[in-house]
Amino acid sequence: MTTFLTFTILGLVLGSVYAIAASGLVLTYNTSGIFNFAHGAQAMLGTFLYWQLTYGWGLPMWLSLIIVVGLVGPAMGAALHTLIMKGLRDTADVTKIVVTVAILLGMVYLSQWIWHPEDARIMEMFFGASAKIELLGVVIRAHEIICLVVAAAIAVGLRLLFTRSRVGVVMRATVDDPDLLRLAGHNPDRVAMLSWAMGSTLAVLAGVLITPIGGGALEANQLTLLVIDAFAAAMFGRLRSIPRTFAGAIVLGMTATYVMAYFPTDWTWTGNFRVSLPMIILFVVLIVLPQDRLRVAAVRTRERYRVPSVRSAATWGGVFVAVVFLLSLLMEDSSITTFTLGMTFAIIALSLTVLTGYAGELNLAPLSFGAVATIVAFHFGVAGTGLAAHLSLWGVLLAVLVTAVVGGVVALPALRLRGLYLALATMAFGVFLSNMVLRDTTEHTLFGVTFSLFPNGTLIVPPLKVGPLDLRDPLTFLLTAAVLFALIAVGLVALRNSGYGRRLAAMKDSPAAAAMLGQNLVRLKFGVFMLSAAIAGLGGVLMAGASGSVAGDNFTIMASLGLVMLTVVGGIGYVSGALFGGLMAGVGFVIIIGTFNDLAMADPAMGTVYTSIGQLAMVATALIGMGVGKNPSGTVHDLVGSYRALRNAKPVLVGGAAAEAVLYVLALTGVIGNWWFAILTACLGMMLPVLGRMLMPAAVLGAEEAARRRSTPLELAGVEEPYTEELRRRLDRELGLPAGAAPATPRRTGFPLAAEEGDVHAVA
Amino acid sequence: MNAEPEPLLELVGARAAYGPIEVLHGVDLAVGPGSVVALLGPNGGGKSTTMKVCAGLLPLTGGELRFAGRRVNGVTAQDAARLGVCSIPEGRGVFPNLTVRENLWVATGTGATLAEMEEAAYTRFPILGERRHQLAGSLSGGQQQMLALSRALGTDPAVLLLDELSMGLAPMIVTQMYDTVAQLVAEGLSVLVAEQFARAVLPIADTAALMLHGRVVAVGRPGEIEDQLSSSYLGG
Repeated sequence: MTTFLTFTILGLVLGSVYAIAASGLVLTYNTSGIFNFAHGAQAMLGTFLYWQLTYGWGLPMWLSLIIVVGLVGPAMGAALHTLIMKGLRDTADVTKIVVTVAILLGMVYLSQWIWHPEDARIMEMFFGASAKIELLGVVIRAHEIICLVVAAAIAVGLRLLFTRSRVGVVMRATVDDPDLLRLAGHNPDRVAMLSWAMGSTLAVLAGVLITPIGGGALEANQLTLLVIDAFAAAMFGRLRSIPRTFAGAIVLGMTATYVMAYFPTDWTWTGNFRVSLPMIILFVVLIVLPQDRLRVAAVRTRERYRVPSVRSAATWGGVFVAVVFLLSLLMEDSSITTFTLGMTFAIIALSLTVLTGYAGELNLAPLSFGAVATIVAFHFGVAGTGLAAHLSLWGVLLAVLVTAVVGGVVALPALRLRGLYLALATMAFGVFLSNMVLRDTTEHTLFGVTFSLFPNGTLIVPPLKVGPLDLRDPLTFLLTAAVLFALIAVGLVALRNSGYGRRLAAMKDSPAAAAMLGQNLVRLKFGVFMLSAAIAGLGGVLMAGASGSVAGDNFTIMASLGLVMLTVVGGIGYVSGALFGGLMAGVGFVIIIGTFNDLAMADPAMGTVYTSIGQLAMVATALIGMGVGKNPSGTVHDLVGSYRALRNAKPVLVGGAAAEAVLYVLALTGVIGNWWFAILTACLGMMLPVLGRMLMPAAVLGAEEAARRRSTPLELAGVEEPYTEELRRRLDRELGLPAGAAPATPRRTGFPLAAEEGDVHAVA
Repeated sequence: MNAEPEPLLELVGARAAYGPIEVLHGVDLAVGPGSVVALLGPNGGGKSTTMKVCAGLLPLTGGELRFAGRRVNGVTAQDAARLGVCSIPEGRGVFPNLTVRENLWVATGTGATLAEMEEAAYTRFPILGERRHQLAGSLSGGQQQMLALSRALGTDPAVLLLDELSMGLAPMIVTQMYDTVAQLVAEGLSVLVAEQFARAVLPIADTAALMLHGRVVAVGRPGEIEDQLSSSYLGG
C-alpha cells in the first residue's frame, strides 16, 4: 500500500510539472495559432540560466528565481513574439513548424555553446532532498509539495484569468477572429505578446521544477525532450481546453511512474518503454481523439512554387551529375566520402519534397524511416564476411520495401490527421523509434528466436555491390549517389507533372474540393506516404553504407528536425531545395565545425575565437531557419527567380560561366585552394544577378521597370523640365499633402477626435 | 464656415489592393452627420473592400480616408474603433467560442463598461439576456446578428459601418435589424451600409451610391438609384 501511495504521489508530482509546461503550450497555441516546438528549449534555456545564477554565481535561490521566472521568462516570450511569431500569419503549417523548430535548434546550440555539454551540472531540489514530511508512511519532499502547490495555483489562476478577467476573455477571442478584435478596439498583437510572455514563463517554471525530479542532471537535449513530453498532455485537451490538459498531464505522470513501479524487472525494455511512453500516448491520443473536420475553404498561404518541366529537369539532372564529377576531381578520398554522405542525405530530403512539397503532408522524422531501412538491410542484406562483406541489391530492395510498408503502417492510423497533428504523430513515431528500437541493444528471445534489433548500439553496414558496380570505391559511390539523386529527382518532377501529381497538389490546396471531385484522399495519402518512406529508406541505407557504421545517435529526432528545417530553407517544393537541405544537414555542419576546429588546432592562440565562430555558425544556421517566416518559398526559389530574370541578358550569363570555368581550371591546377574555389564560386553565384541588373538593366528588369527606376529624384523634379500640374500633384502625393489645393485648416466638428493637431497617429 | 456640414467619413479617390491586384480604383464617397448612405451593387463590385478600408482593416494604396475632414490614411482598425467608427463585418460579427456576455465584454474595448453594454443589449434584444451564458456560436443566425449589432448599441459610436447585414437571415429578422438601425439613426448616428439586397435598406437610406468594378458610378437619392439597379445587376 505504501508503495502504491508513494508512486501515486510521484506520479502526481510529475504530472503537475507536465501540466505547467503543457498549459503554457496551449496558451500560446490558442492566441497565435502557432504550435511552439521550441517550448522545451525555452524551458531548457531558462533552467540553465537558473543553474548559472544559483550554482555558478552563487546568487540566493529566491533572487535567481525572480530573475529567471519573473524577468527572463516573460522577456523571452515577448521577444520571440515581437521578432518572429508576429510575421508568421498566413503561412503554411510547415513554415510555422519549421520556424519554431529552428528556434528550438538555435536555443540548443546556444546553450551548448555557453554551457559546454561535457561538464556535469547538478541541480538540487528546493530546500534540499532531505527536507521532507511523512504522511501515512509516505515520504514527501518539500520540492514535491512545491510542485503540486504551484500547479494547483496555476490551474486556478488560469481558470480565473480566462473566465473572470477581460484580458483573458480577449485572449480567447483572439483565436476566433483577430480582425473582429481589432474592430472592437483591441490590439491582437499585444494580446498575443502577453500570452507568449506567459507561456514562456510557464515553460521556464516547468524546466526549473522538473530538473531535480528527473535526477537533477542538466543536459540540453534531454531537458528539451522532457518538456516535449508535455505535448501529449496538451493533446488531451486538443490544444484548446486547459482543464483537460491538466487531467491529461496527471494521467501521463501517473502512468509513467506506475510503469516504473509495477512492470517486471526482468523485462529489459521497461526503461526504454518508460522513456518513450509519452510519445506512445501522444500517438494514441492523436489517433483516438476526434479531429477537426475538413476545412471547406482553400488554405491561402504565401508559399508559391513553380513546377519545372520534365525536359528541363532531365537536362539539369545531367548537368548536376557532370558537375559532381568535375568537383570530385578536386577532392581527396576523405572529402569525397563526406560529400557522398551529404548526397545520401539529399536523397532522404527528396522524400520530404514529394511528401511535404507536393502533397502538403508533414513528416518530422524522415531519418527514422532511414533507420528502419538500415536495420533491415543490416539483418538481411549483408553477404560475405570481413573485407569481402557487401550489401546485396536484394538486401537494399528488401529494406526499401519494408520501409515503404512501415511508412504505410505509420500513416494508416494517421491518415485522417492533417498538418500539425500529422507532424506531431510522425514526431512521436520518430522519438519512439529512437527510444525503443534503436536502444534495443541487448539480446532477447521472442517466439523462440533470439535477437536484438540494434546489436551493441552500432551497426556496421558494408557498401553495396551489384555485379561489377562496387561502391567500396569512394568515387564510384559518390557518382552512384549523384546519379541516383538525379534519377529520383527527375522521376519526382515527372510525377508532379503527371495526373497523380496534380491530384496531390489539389489535395494540398483544398482537401475538401479534391474530395468533392471524387478523389480518394485516403488512397492518395497512403500512396504518397509509402513512396516517401521508400525514398527515405533508400537514402538511409546508402547513408549507412557511406559512413560505414551507424549508431542510434545518427537518427535522433534532433537530426531529423535539422534536415527538415534546412530542406524548407532551401525550398520544400523543389528537388534542388532537397539537395541544398541534404548537403547542409549531412555535411554542412560537419564541414563548418571541422574547419573551425582545424583552424583552432593550427593556431592555438586564436583557438577559442575560432571555436566560438564555429559555434556561432551553428546558431546562425538556426537563424536562417527562423528567416523562413519572411521567405517561405525558400532560398532556391529566390535564386532561380533572380537567374530567370537574366534570361535576356545572355552576355552576363556567358561571362559568368566563363569566370566560373577559369576558377575551376585554377583550382584543378592547384593555383587556388579548394576553399578559395568554393568561396569565390559562392560569391560569383550570388553576385551575378546583381551584376546583370547593373550592367544590362533593360534586358533584366524589362524596359518599363528600368525607365521607372531612372525617374527623377523628388528633390530634382522640375529643375530640368517644365513644372507641370502633373508634377505638382506627384510632389503633393509624395510629401503626403492632401489632394486638392486648399491647405487643411483645423475645424471644429462633432467628431470625437481627441487631438487638435496633426495626423491620427498622434491620437494613437 | 461651410454651408454643407463636414462629412464624418469621407473617401477621396481611394485606391486599395489585395497584393498586386487593385480592387478599388478611386472611390469617392461621403457620409454626412446623421445620414444613412447605402452602398449598393452586385458581387465583386468592391463594397466589402470599401467597408474594410473605412474600418481601417485594409490600408489605402492611394487617395485619402478622412474622418471629420481629417486625413487618417494608415489608421489601424483599433484606433479607428476608438475614434468612434463601429464596424460590423460581413458574416457574423461575433466570437463563436465565447458566451454572449463575454462577447459583450470584448466589445468594451473602446471604453464602455460591461454593465452599460449588457444594459443596452438586453433592453433592445431581450432574447440575448435570456441566453447570456450560451456560446455565441450556438445562437441562431438572427440572434448572432443581434449580438453583433449590440456592439453598436452600447459603445455609442459616431459612424456605423454595416456590411451585408441581411446575409443568410430570414426576411422578418432583416426587417427587425433595420428597424433597430433606423432607431439608432433617429438618435443621431451616421451609417454607411453595404447591401446586395437593395430593397432591405433603401427605405431608411438618405443617399444611395452604386458601386461597379471598384468605382462609385452613381450617387443620388435612393429612388433614382433603384431605377438603375436592375440594369447594373443584369449587366445591361
